[in-house]
Amino acid sequence: MSCPQKSKEREIAFEYWAGTLDAARAAGFARHMEQCGDCLRAVTEQRKVWEALGYWTAPVVSADFNARLYARIAAEETAPAWRKWLRRITPPVSPASFWKPAVSLAAACAVLTIGLTVHLPKPAQTSPRPQPVATQQAASQVDIEQVANALDELDLLAPAKI
Amino acid sequence: MRENPPQDLATQPQPSANGGVRKDMEAVAALERDAELMLRVREGDDTSFALLLERHRGPVVHFLYRMVQNQPVSEELAQEVFLRVYRSRATYEPTAKFTTWLFRIATHLALNWIRDGKKERRQESLDEDLLDGMDRQVADRQKTIEQEMVYEVKLREVRQAIQALPEKQRAAVLMHKYQDVEYSQIARTLGCSESAVKSLLFRAYESLRARLAHMA
Repeated sequence: MSCPQKSKEREIAFEYWAGTLDAARAAGFARHMEQCGDCLRAVTEQRKVWEALGYWTAPVVSADFNARLYARIAAEETAPAWRKWLRRITPPVSPASFWKPAVSLAAACAVLTIGLTVHLPKPAQTSPRPQPVATQQAASQVDIEQVANALDELDLLAPAKI
Repeated sequence: MRENPPQDLATQPQPSANGGVRKDMEAVAALERDAELMLRVREGDDTSFALLLERHRGPVVHFLYRMVQNQPVSEELAQEVFLRVYRSRATYEPTAKFTTWLFRIATHLALNWIRDGKKERRQESLDEDLLDGMDRQVADRQKTIEQEMVYEVKLREVRQAIQALPEKQRAAVLMHKYQDVEYSQIARTLGCSESAVKSLLFRAYESLRARLAHMA
């Protein structure tokens, strides 16, 4: 058995300690652990953690816990019918449950607004501005000259005919 | 705040010791009894509700206390848990274990409370709470000052290590360690698969190992 601590099967030590491995795998791991210090340490440390957690004991429940609960139940029982109905159809609300969706909605609106502002095509870009006739003629002359020059260069580059 | 005196650590059950036919039979009987009691509550028997409250008040408050690390808040949330159970009595159907339902409500409330950020607001009172509890324990158990100081340091380390865990890992560890809840029930409570629970627990105990292994 290859060492689980050095492979992706590191959970085996935990499962062995927790007693959730099947008998065959547990026996295999126990045999491996006799030879492997890392796995033995993992299981021992896990046991120590379990013991350490035992230091934290919970407090005694307040003596008036039941009385307070029954008072709340009584208050609910005597509440007007419309309030009971309202409670049944609406989840209990806290201040946070009001402002949290509002913040999310505001953030979504802000992102949407920014997105539309940045990406909407501007009128100036869609309709090209008419240019003066002289400029257009100059531009077409430049284009013709460039094509002629390019053709000349191609002739020069072509292999000479024998 | 007063905490229970620590039990003998050696006598605390380990998960591997969870088996045992007798214990299983007792557990099954208890579960059936919970469902039976709740069905009686549905029929309007308030005595059955009192019995359910008596059986589960401690575990629910303790679970919530360790989740939120504040006693008044944990009791407030536990009251809400039982209030919701009582409100839902008319529509109760024993489709799942009663305790799964109970811990599902408790976990939901605790996670909401933590996420609402109230934790930070009450953090200051947490330390005072702890020290107050320590003072009383000194008087209660007549320990030497040195023993108490060592105990206090260890307790603080455990609380901080648990608090440092991500919420779901924390809930899984607390149910596993302190409430002795099975993987399948933790899975249903947290709304995930059993393998996800194993993974959550593994990662949680790995983190705790890094922080607490030197203690015992």
